[in-house]
Amino acid sequence: MTRTSTNQRTDGQHNDMATIEMIGVRKEFGATVALADLHLSIGSGELVCLLGPSGCGKTTALRLLAGFETPDAGAILVDGDDITTVPPRRRGFGMVFQEYSLFPNLTARQNIEFGLKVRRAGKAETAATVERLLTMTRLEKHASKFPHQMSGGQKQRVALARAIATQPRLLLLDEPLSALDAQVREHLREEIRRLQQQVGVTTVFVTHDQHEAMAVADRVAVMRDGVLEQIDPPRTLYSRPASAFVAGFVGTVNRVGARPEPDGWRVLGAHVPAVGEAVTGTAVVRPEQLAVQRANGTPGVFATVTGVSFLGALTRLTLDHPDEGPLVADLIGPEADGWEVGDRAIARVRADAGSVVLQ
Amino acid sequence: MSAPAVRRSRGGAVARWTFLGLLALFFVVPQLAMARFAFQNVPVVMLDSSTVLQGWSAHRLIEALAEPELWVSARTSVVLAALAIALNLALLMPLAVLVEVYRPRLRPLVTAVTLLPWVVPPIALVVGVAATFRQVAPWFLASPLSLVPFYALWAMPFTYRALDAGLRAVNARTLVEAARSLGASLPTVLVRVLAPAMSAAIVASAGLTGALVLGEFAFASLLLKNTLPTYLVNYQRGAPQAGMALALTVMVFTAVGMAGVVHLLRRRGLGVSTVGV
Repeated sequence: MTRTSTNQRTDGQHNDMATIEMIGVRKEFGATVALADLHLSIGSGELVCLLGPSGCGKTTALRLLAGFETPDAGAILVDGDDITTVPPRRRGFGMVFQEYSLFPNLTARQNIEFGLKVRRAGKAETAATVERLLTMTRLEKHASKFPHQMSGGQKQRVALARAIATQPRLLLLDEPLSALDAQVREHLREEIRRLQQQVGVTTVFVTHDQHEAMAVADRVAVMRDGVLEQIDPPRTLYSRPASAFVAGFVGTVNRVGARPEPDGWRVLGAHVPAVGEAVTGTAVVRPEQLAVQRANGTPGVFATVTGVSFLGALTRLTLDHPDEGPLVADLIGPEADGWEVGDRAIARVRADAGSVVLQ
Repeated sequence: MSAPAVRRSRGGAVARWTFLGLLALFFVVPQLAMARFAFQNVPVVMLDSSTVLQGWSAHRLIEALAEPELWVSARTSVVLAALAIALNLALLMPLAVLVEVYRPRLRPLVTAVTLLPWVVPPIALVVGVAATFRQVAPWFLASPLSLVPFYALWAMPFTYRALDAGLRAVNARTLVEAARSLGASLPTVLVRVLAPAMSAAIVASAGLTGALVLGEFAFASLLLKNTLPTYLVNYQRGAPQAGMALALTVMVFTAVGMAGVVHLLRRRGLGVSTVGV
C-alpha cells in the first residue's frame, strides 16, 4: 500500500490547496502493472520529484499527468476538475523531455514562441514573453541559433523556456538533465529550481538521480514497482526513511545487526533510539552516523580499513567488520586524517547520531 | 609508434586505395566509353587510344535536343513524376506518422506490406489492373496520367522507407508530444513541426520517386504511353549516338541537381537520411 498520508507537508511553505491530485490511478501495459494504485497530491507552486529506479512507474505517472496515456482506473484532478480524459493539447501543461525535443527547423526564439503562436497570443504579448524568458534563461545571445548549433545544456534551457512560455498550470519534467554531463547537470538543476520558484509554477520532476531529487524538490516521492513508497521533504526522507528501500535509495547505507534493549536497540555496541519495525533485526546506519577510532590497545571488536577515499569535504573509509561485514563511514575534520589501508579500528554508532532505521 | 604497426598500416592503405581505384574504374570506364561514343565525331571502329582527343563535338546532342517529340515526352514524364510524388507523400506521410508515433507495434507489418510492390512484377501489375479497368473505366487507361497510381505504388517501398527513417532520425514521437503539450492540433503538428523537421527525408523520398518515374520504362511501354524513357529507347533505335548523348546529359543533369539539393539541406543542418533504402 502507499504511504501518502504519513508526514504530509512539514515545511509549511505552501498553502493547503492541492492543485494536482492523482486518485487511485492504475495503469497496465499488457501483463505489466506500471502503476498499481497511485495516490498523489501536489500543492500549488510545489516542486515534487518522482524518484525511483527504472521501471518503477515514475515516467508512466508523468505521462498520465501529461495526457499521453490514459489511466485504466482512477482519476486525475486539477484544482478539483477531473481532467482524466482531456487530451494533452487542452490541458495547458508544459513539458520538458529527456531527449532533446526542440523543433530542429526553428531557432531558439521561434521554439519558445511556438506555444504562444499556436494559441494565437497577441504579437506584442508574445514578443514580450519571449524576451523575458530569454533573459531569465540567459539565452539572449543564442536566440537566433538553431538547435544543432547549441550545446545540450542550452537546448534544455530553451526547452524549459518553451514549456513555461504559455504559463502552464503544471510543469512536467521528464528526466530533463539525464542527457547532459555532470557539471552542466548540476548547474542546470539549480537554474530549474530558481526559474520554478521565480515563476511559481507547480512542477513534477521525474528523475532516477537521488542527488538531483534531494537538491531541487520541496518533496520527494520515492516509487518502487508501481507503488509510492514514501513522499516527504528531502530532509525527512533522509533522516526518517519509511522503509529500508527508501533508506538505501536516498544515500549510502550500512546494514548491521540490531538487538532490542529497553527504550531502543543495541547497534554496533551502542545504544540507539530507532524508528521502524524490526522484522529482520537489521538496522540501517548512514555512513556519517558511524564514528571510527583507532584501535590503540583498547579491547573490543576490531574492523580493518580496506579503503580510504579522500572526497574533499569528507573522507570515506571502507571497513571490513568481523561480525557485520563491509561498512562505509564518512569522516570529517581531524578524525579523518591519517588513515591507511590495513589500519585496525573500532566502528560504532555516534552518540549524537540520532535514530537509525530498523528493517 | 613501433615499426611493425607502421608497416601494417601502410599495407592497409595500399589495399584500400587499390580497392577504391578498382571501384572507380568500374564506374568511370563505361561512362567514358559512352561519352566517347556519343560526343566524338569519329567512326565507331576507330575509337581507340590513338583517337582519344579527336573530333569532340556536341552537335549530336544539339540535334537530339531539337526534336519537339523529346520535349513533349519529357513534359509528360515530369508531370507524372510530380503527381506521383504528391500522391505518394499525401498517402504515406500520414501513414508513416501514424505508425511511428501512435502505433509503433505495427511498424514491422507496415514495413513488410510496403515492400509488396516489388514482389509483384510490373507485367503482372499492368495486366491485372488493365484487364480490370478496361471493363470498368476504359477512359482511365487512355490518359497518360493513368500511370500515376502505378508509379506511386511502384515507388512506395522507397518513399515509405525514406519517410520512416526520417521520422526516426528527428525523434518524431517526442516532437509530436512536445507540440501537443504546447497546444498544437494534429494538422498543425504535421504541417508546422513534422514536415519542416523532416524536410530532408521528404526531399529524399521525393527525389527517389522522381528518379524512379523519370527512368521507368516497363509500365509506360506496356501501357503504350510516350514518356521520356520510351522516347529515348525509340529515338536511340534511329540515332544511337545522339540517343546516348541525350541519356548521358539527363544523367549528369539529375546527379548535379540532387547534389545541389543535398548540399542546401546540409547547410541548414538537415542531413539527408535514407537509412534502410
